[in-house]
Amino acid sequence: MALRAGVIIGLCLSAGLIWIIESGAADVFLEATRPDFQKIPLGVAEIKNIGGTESPEGRIRLGNRIEEVLKADVRRSLVFSLVDLSSMGLRLDHLGTDPDPSFKQAGEHGVSVIVWGKAGMKSENKDADVNMEGYVYDAGSDKMVGGKRYAGSPSVVRLMAHRFADELVFRYTGEPGIARTKIAYVSEVGPAREVFVMDYDGHDPRQVTTDGFLNLMPRWSPDRRFLVFTAYRNRNAQDIDMIEVATGKRSTLVSLGGLNITPALSPDGNFLVFSSSQEGNSELYRMDTRTKNLQRLTVNAAGDLSPSWSPSGREIAFTSDRSGGPQIFLMSVDGSNVRRLTFEGSYNAAPAWSPRGNWIAYVCRGPKKEYKLCLITPDGQQRVQLTVGQGVDDSPSWSPDGRHLVFSSTVGGKSQIYMINADGKDLEQITFTGTHNSAPTWSPAS
Amino acid sequence: MVSLFGCTSKSGQSSGDTQASQPRAKSVASQELLDTSFSGRDASGGGLRGLDKNPSEERLGGRGSLMTRADLRGTGHQMEGICAEQATAAGRRDVFFVYDSFAITEDVRIALVHNAKWIKANPRVQLKIEGHCDDRGTSAGNLVLGEKRVKAARNYLVELGAAPNHLSIVSYGKERSACEEHTESCYAQNRRGHMLLKTGK
Repeated sequence: MALRAGVIIGLCLSAGLIWIIESGAADVFLEATRPDFQKIPLGVAEIKNIGGTESPEGRIRLGNRIEEVLKADVRRSLVFSLVDLSSMGLRLDHLGTDPDPSFKQAGEHGVSVIVWGKAGMKSENKDADVNMEGYVYDAGSDKMVGGKRYAGSPSVVRLMAHRFADELVFRYTGEPGIARTKIAYVSEVGPAREVFVMDYDGHDPRQVTTDGFLNLMPRWSPDRRFLVFTAYRNRNAQDIDMIEVATGKRSTLVSLGGLNITPALSPDGNFLVFSSSQEGNSELYRMDTRTKNLQRLTVNAAGDLSPSWSPSGREIAFTSDRSGGPQIFLMSVDGSNVRRLTFEGSYNAAPAWSPRGNWIAYVCRGPKKEYKLCLITPDGQQRVQLTVGQGVDDSPSWSPDGRHLVFSSTVGGKSQIYMINADGKDLEQITFTGTHNSAPTWSPAS
Repeated sequence: MVSLFGCTSKSGQSSGDTQASQPRAKSVASQELLDTSFSGRDASGGGLRGLDKNPSEERLGGRGSLMTRADLRGTGHQMEGICAEQATAAGRRDVFFVYDSFAITEDVRIALVHNAKWIKANPRVQLKIEGHCDDRGTSAGNLVLGEKRVKAARNYLVELGAAPNHLSIVSYGKERSACEEHTESCYAQNRRGHMLLKTGK
């Protein structure tokens, strides 16, 4: 069954967590991203500051700000490896649209792509438009192979960097990047819990629900227009509501009585699977989103909850305590062919099926009652523990490229949101404000 | 799709930008990019698809690109109302459960017997039982566990003679903790069935 040979590689990460890979897992992790994938070495020469204006903090150096965001996006893409060009003795300033002759030398040292550009305000007026230009040098052809020019208000400076980063990923891999994806989550507002949406890097949080009750465990619609979540505003039962993120327009999807939680829309958006205690204990139901027809999927005396669709839309992973403590089970979408997936440990819950279909992330409990993240293949043949250490990790959710997970953890005391690569590297805290940030869920790519 | 998040740009036309590429990029890129590991090279030549050697300007969305400003008036007021109810709940005993369990232990039973007597002495009151959990385990799992706890408590009160239509339940899982410390005494406080009077309706 699961690989349990005890070779453990441990590295201390910035937030004090440790990641481990069990023996044999290295091959597994390459597969988790893509087979035999080699990162493309990319250097950001400079995003030069042009124009500009005075502000209370001094000169707004837009180029520097964009460069910083772009580098972080490039690093998180996991498509490129970020090369430090300054250590190669390159001339990095006063660049025009033509590549600097020294780029060829960088190419000879293994750098495949060099990016540079400029950014600034159109005038001294602080509300003036921001312009950004970015150019791409390809070492293979020793040419500037293209560029982008963006304009917009000062509020979209980060978006310009994200757009350019996604453009690079898409052009070099044919896959959409994640720099413009969003993360929905739940945060404490007074005594209430409200749904928020932020950029994938934790910036620009916006409140989506405003009813002053509890609003829990949001999930995206496949077209990323809507969020579905559990709402407490009907004080006699917990309904499943849907809200249009752009407009705040809200409606109730499921109002059956009892506790209705963990909604999950099918990849085609035609079905909603959720857990309801309307008939006593928590069971999974499937609702046709057009006809509202309801089909009960599970029938037993135990709790069934936390459904996660396979990317094909043919199977559902879920949590059930029918065998004692909670374990992960799989079934077909009609409720047939139920089989238990996890056998290790007495608490395995909150499954999240990866976008490529090859892993299921979930919360696993260790011997010291620590709740951590694990990954298992849908055939149960390989299992890896992704996080270790103190605190309760909860609500794993995959990035649309399948290379990252976002989750909540109390490792630092209060619950905050963290990002980690699917190979256990690069743990990064992405929320810092607020006393309780939880239940993150990653949007589809745009 | 793109305009959903307010990015009113021309991204949908990106692949069309290729046609505007300068000829000098074509000859080299189509041959030499083949020798590299790039999978995103443009089969039609012209460098990277969507990138333009003389790019035209794309306008990105303005402020509020995600959504209109949320109306925050009223936020929290409803919960304040609920908290006011709690203040009137003196006289009943909360019940405390053991870790990862909804079992009616001897301590729980004694508190429920006390509460059942009080309910029978005050037959017109409506009682709401809130189920809470410590923060160990998943959000979803604790909502279900909290519901099992309040249902177990309610069913026991009914067995002791309380009128079922005077008892309502709600599970808050680990979402409304009494305390936040990661200590056994705090966990124990959070594993509670909280008895409160329903006022008004």
